[in-house]
Amino acid sequence: MAEPLLRVENLCKWFEVRRGLFSKPLYLKAVDNVSFELMRGEAVSLVGESGSGKTTLGRTILRLLEPTKGRIIFDGKDITHLRPKELMWYRREASLVQQDPYGALPSFMNIYRILEEPLLIHKVGDREERRERIFKALEEVRLTPVEDFAFKYPHMLSGGQLQRVAIARALILRPKLVIADEPVSMLDASVRIEILTLMRELQEKRRISFIYITHDLSTTRYFSEWIYIMYAGHLMEIAPTKELISNPQHPYTQALLAAIPDPDPENRKRFRKVPPGEPPSLINPPPGCRFHPRCPYAMDICRREEPPMIDLGGGHRVKCWLYAKR
Amino acid sequence: MGVLMEVRGLRLYYSTRKGVVKAVDNVSFQLMEGETLAVVGESGCGKSSMAKAIIRLLPRNVHTYDGSIIFEGRDIMKLDEETFRREVRWRKISMVFQGAMNSLNPVLKVGFQVGEPLMIYDGLSKEEAIARARKMLRMVGIHEAFADRYPFELSGGMKQRAVIAMALITNPRLVILDEPTSALDVITQANIMNMLKRVRDEYGLSYIFITHDIALSSELADKVAVMYAGQIVEVADAEIFYREPSHPYAQKLMASVPTLRTDKKLEFIPGAPPSLLEPPPGCRFHPRCPYAMDICRREEPPVIDLGGGHKVKCWLYAKR
Repeated sequence: MAEPLLRVENLCKWFEVRRGLFSKPLYLKAVDNVSFELMRGEAVSLVGESGSGKTTLGRTILRLLEPTKGRIIFDGKDITHLRPKELMWYRREASLVQQDPYGALPSFMNIYRILEEPLLIHKVGDREERRERIFKALEEVRLTPVEDFAFKYPHMLSGGQLQRVAIARALILRPKLVIADEPVSMLDASVRIEILTLMRELQEKRRISFIYITHDLSTTRYFSEWIYIMYAGHLMEIAPTKELISNPQHPYTQALLAAIPDPDPENRKRFRKVPPGEPPSLINPPPGCRFHPRCPYAMDICRREEPPMIDLGGGHRVKCWLYAKR
Repeated sequence: MGVLMEVRGLRLYYSTRKGVVKAVDNVSFQLMEGETLAVVGESGCGKSSMAKAIIRLLPRNVHTYDGSIIFEGRDIMKLDEETFRREVRWRKISMVFQGAMNSLNPVLKVGFQVGEPLMIYDGLSKEEAIARARKMLRMVGIHEAFADRYPFELSGGMKQRAVIAMALITNPRLVILDEPTSALDVITQANIMNMLKRVRDEYGLSYIFITHDIALSSELADKVAVMYAGQIVEVADAEIFYREPSHPYAQKLMASVPTLRTDKKLEFIPGAPPSLLEPPPGCRFHPRCPYAMDICRREEPPVIDLGGGHKVKCWLYAKR
């Protein structure tokens, strides 16, 4: 079997929230014991509600945050604790598209300089080659005529156009891994599909490994091969996209799917079967399975012991005691 | 079932430094008692302005505000401000504003804030008002003990329920919901939709449900109005709209909705909505419309009645 591009093993990112002189430190366990593998050229959707740790996981993988425990192996190299200088090559291989295109781009640079900056930092090409590459990048994200867009400033562009610039910037060093954190949640519905379609197209063309972080399950069907479901810092379920949507196994995934409407005039007449309550605090998460206080099937063991990740075959894995053979 | 509200030729224009913004331009529709109208459209299409025009909460830079709103038989546009405030706003028509959960007063207890409209409009004492607030909190699914807590002690979903309780406490006939769940997680959103359905069934009230999320709009809509560039381009019953909308814009909008359970080819609408300062002549959608004809570029289309309350503002359906 081919070597995965990215391997994450028991990754934890805990934030220290309080430390008195003599008291034990308290941790907010934003990402706790997460493991998965990402193959080359594959797109996965990392789905979770706000506060589930999906953004922290993305940022920790990119080493924008220091991991607390566990390992991150990228392209066969352990990058978990590399120092900033040793990370330069990784910055070239892995990039980020942020949620807010208005905040992600510096307002005092024109588009040309925004796209040139990563090339300068990584000493790519001479002036002429850089120019060629920037114009080609703008063409790829369809900001044409490129001569017009290159010398505009961010405030002159719409949200959708800004996000195209952010995508061009993330791709300009030809990375192997791109993490897009809610890249369309601030855009209008009709523009969302346009941007997601563009990202999918570039991802497939360049065989980039892609992590699409989102709270919106309904778009994942169209833009990824895999779905990872995250809840309260844990990965709860992993499966190929269609399998996960048509055959969800984790009670949390089932609840999440039940909560999402498709346009249907019958909806107004029925009530959705969703669990009450809200996700737990990550400072003092419930013992055992973190979903047990809201789970309709909670058993004794769920309250006591953290469930293992159980392999159901075909790449479908679920962290739930219901599927454990005892 | 009688007519609760009939809006005719409603206009709301704003003056800005750049000129006059036609945020709501000649909007007409009818709402029956107990019926929910969903208003959908992209941001900047005038949805929220229409809501503010109905409940008459207007900014200072109003340029034009006219038309008629017949509510329970009388034209509330003709009422002076004092009568409107005393007899209509919150009494008959209340509203849950977009992002309202973040405008709860942090230093006042939740029960006091939920009960406050009763002190203002019904002259109830603080004790009576808070007692009623407790009941209303229970109705929207919050334990009444939270009446004695401060907003920071509530989760996002609970705060949103509290502002909904505030809109319901005067027992209005119509509640305008402007993106009532936009900042919430999907499970919390589904819980609040369930609650809004329960309240609707219990009190028999009407909602105007403003949202950019078409799939979500079907959770409450009996009828759907699609807004584009300050105008309603289609109104149809939910049964018709979600299966087969008629206006080319509504069709495109439906085609851009990702569906979870079925495969379809997702489309997007090329181009961007027009400026409301100088909307295109003729039909405002014509620059983006795949079926645009000559007449669409020249003349504004009439509203064409397709029967059964289904109306569409498009030349394609005109008999000539």
